[in-house]
Amino acid sequence: MLMPEPDQQVIDRRDDICRALRKLVPAACVVDSTESMRAFDADGLSAYRQLPLAVVLPETVDQIAAVMKWCHQNEIKLVPRGAGTSLSGGALPLADAVLLGLGKFNRIHEIDYDNRCVVAQPGVTNLAITHAVQADGFYYAPDPSSQIACSVGGNVAENSGGVHCLKYGLTTNNLLGVEIVTMEGEILRFGGKHLDAGDYDLMGIMTGSEGLLGVVSEVTLRILQKPATARALLVGFDDTDSAGTAVGDVIAAGIIPAGMEMMDGLAINAAEDFANAGYPREAAALLIIELDGPEVEVDALIERVEAILRTAGASSVRVSQSEEERNLFWAGRKSAFPAVGRISPDYLCMDGTIPRRRLPDMMRRMASLSQQYGLRVANVFHAGDGNLHPLILFDANIPGELERAEDFGADILKSCVEMGGVLTGEHGVGVEKRDLMTIQFTEDDLKQQQRLKCAFDPGHLLNPGKVFPHLHRCAELGRLHVHKGKMPHPDLPRF
Amino acid sequence: MTDVIATSLADVKDAVESAIAAGHRLEVRGTGSKSNLGRECNADAALDVSKMAGIVDYQPEELVMTLRAGTPMDEVEAALADARQMLAFEPPRMGRISGGPRSELQGTIGGIVAANLSGPRRLTAGATRDYLLGFEAISGRGELFKSGGRVMKNVTGYDLSKLMCGSFGTLAVMDEITLKTLPAPETSQSLLVACADFAAATKTIAQIFATPHEPGAAAILPQSIAAEEAVDTGGAFTAIIRLEGIEASVYDRIANLQAMTGGETIAKPASETLWQRIRDVQPLAEKPHDLWKVSCAPSDAPRLVESLDSAMGVRFMADWAGGLLWFGASRSRDLGNRLRAVVAELDSGFAMLVRDVAVTRDEIAPFQPLPAPLFELHKRVKASFDPRGVLNYGRMHSGI
Repeated sequence: MLMPEPDQQVIDRRDDICRALRKLVPAACVVDSTESMRAFDADGLSAYRQLPLAVVLPETVDQIAAVMKWCHQNEIKLVPRGAGTSLSGGALPLADAVLLGLGKFNRIHEIDYDNRCVVAQPGVTNLAITHAVQADGFYYAPDPSSQIACSVGGNVAENSGGVHCLKYGLTTNNLLGVEIVTMEGEILRFGGKHLDAGDYDLMGIMTGSEGLLGVVSEVTLRILQKPATARALLVGFDDTDSAGTAVGDVIAAGIIPAGMEMMDGLAINAAEDFANAGYPREAAALLIIELDGPEVEVDALIERVEAILRTAGASSVRVSQSEEERNLFWAGRKSAFPAVGRISPDYLCMDGTIPRRRLPDMMRRMASLSQQYGLRVANVFHAGDGNLHPLILFDANIPGELERAEDFGADILKSCVEMGGVLTGEHGVGVEKRDLMTIQFTEDDLKQQQRLKCAFDPGHLLNPGKVFPHLHRCAELGRLHVHKGKMPHPDLPRF
Repeated sequence: MTDVIATSLADVKDAVESAIAAGHRLEVRGTGSKSNLGRECNADAALDVSKMAGIVDYQPEELVMTLRAGTPMDEVEAALADARQMLAFEPPRMGRISGGPRSELQGTIGGIVAANLSGPRRLTAGATRDYLLGFEAISGRGELFKSGGRVMKNVTGYDLSKLMCGSFGTLAVMDEITLKTLPAPETSQSLLVACADFAAATKTIAQIFATPHEPGAAAILPQSIAAEEAVDTGGAFTAIIRLEGIEASVYDRIANLQAMTGGETIAKPASETLWQRIRDVQPLAEKPHDLWKVSCAPSDAPRLVESLDSAMGVRFMADWAGGLLWFGASRSRDLGNRLRAVVAELDSGFAMLVRDVAVTRDEIAPFQPLPAPLFELHKRVKASFDPRGVLNYGRMHSGI
């Protein structure tokens, strides 16, 4: 992965830069020893490591603003970092950039039940929001699998999803307001406790912008009343086609489950070995379907879904009879990644989305690619919304195998786009999928996105090298193509 | 200079390129149902996209629908009804809100998206912006670009869909709009609760939302309007709570809530008619008044309501648990200034002039003026799509 060429002149000024930063934040908030900076040299995409120029850990929003303003004035690049759980390298440091860590922003400012929201600092973990309100029957819906560690500020930057976003949406659908600091050091508020933006939805554009437009310094999150009950079905199929069709049948019947997960044979067996969840080992595909809501409703819908699945040719159907059993059904799915880690020294986790009806085509494509590359693939899907997580198994100690796995992964993502889908459903582009962006987008599509970047950060100082395969200078992007006042087709009558 | 009727994005591209070359400005329009919303554009010509119409692709079991921007709302809703689905954000008919000669205009899906208009279910299901999955468009630079996709879960690149919703055509002219659809509820019922004052109504609603009985929409009507709508509970205000879902569930939940708050219930079709009238602000729109909408934190709503003088002759109602307030008055400049002053004190939300009967929009900005740093950023965002100000220039704010 090629990152922008580090600026040696900036690296040479490192001591001066750290001295200047220590005037803006308490001295201990600037970390510059190699040893201490090791903790920040990678995020969840740990194949890529890089020590930053320096790490700054501010304690107040004014300090964030001061650091950013100084970096802007001195043309120093800046990489924001929440908990560092990004799976796409969104928080990967750069050798000539200051790493801005938000770890000290770990306080919840306000719990507001009248308006059903929580105002929190960006470093608060996703799960801590739910913990803060669960005694009163509320919870925060987006539940990325890293929710115990990932921060809500990072969730905004990545527009994080989770297994329940089929029914409850992604971060963007559960966010009411953000306070951000721009690269120029300006503190701005978008949204609040009210519902609509009224002007340009800048909160919407911040969400999922992968730290390229501004640093999130506060969030206002919508909380929901916890559903009265939840029950799950564990359903085996002899072939993946029928399982895929069954998922569509449930939705076509007007039922939106809280979650609808699918696993293929390899994933089922790896998970069963690991978790002993009682998964049907002989099944070619397994569905876990969860329904939540009022008890009467869940009981009625479970019956309807069961009937649909039997008609669709399910080879086995189990319905959870207790909370304990429901959790057991999930235990295998939730341990799918570590379980696959046990059957292979290394694996790559991919994240594309396809229109759900293309699932059978995608399964066949993956089987043929698996043969072509001589690598196994285990599949875990958020089947309800077509979000795939193929796990490509390989051994990094065998020369060339990592590269083969990466090529295999790129082919899967290309197939996703070919089938009408997209490169990433929830993990983000980061550095991982940056160079594949041209598969999904034209040059003009990407230029328009980068012009928006210029509106927020004309100097390209904030998180450079992420998301976009080519960096264009803003002046170049700003040019408007006019043929010296001539109209495109001068012979045609106009206006 | 004559107007352009576009039948494709290629036509739009030609029109925008020509406008750039000639230094002209265009006003983008569909059926004109929302032409009273926002500032006058003073454009050199209209760019009519109402002929860019039709449903391109609809896969109910995929929960996605792709439409041309000018597709009339009747056509959209008929197709959804056939598949027993809906646009969960419950788009209102701006024509009915506008009233007068516009009442019969059904509007287009492009207009709904451009204005980010959502109805009562917005409180729990989200707004138009939560359902726009992707689009194609011609920017004010005359360039074709796309963003998003036709799948539900997608974080590839900036989410320009969010920006397009509520940009009132000032950034780009959209087509190939892909929306997420959802199954329509099997049934719905409403609970009517009598409340002593407006603040009590917002409290009652907050209590109901702290239960797991899944209320879907919540409006508040003053007694005069409740009486006109035949839902008078005898209280100075009536809180109206809508529940949707499968029959057994709706019956069960409404009975539970009724045991908690008292009150009466209404079922289909009365309940449906009532919510359609609330969606389209009919109790206020049927009077010859200017209309203001205020988006605020629900708990701030009582303060806004209490700030009104009886001398102002204002009629009002609330939706979104109090988070959406509608005010009607015959000459509304003073009302607008009052609402803006309170919103400024609250430091959250905005007040927008939505319908203008008395030429009020020449006297007061229809969109809430932006603080300087935000205005500057809006200008930069506008310039990134439309540096020459070709598209709907000044529709939202002067200079944007």
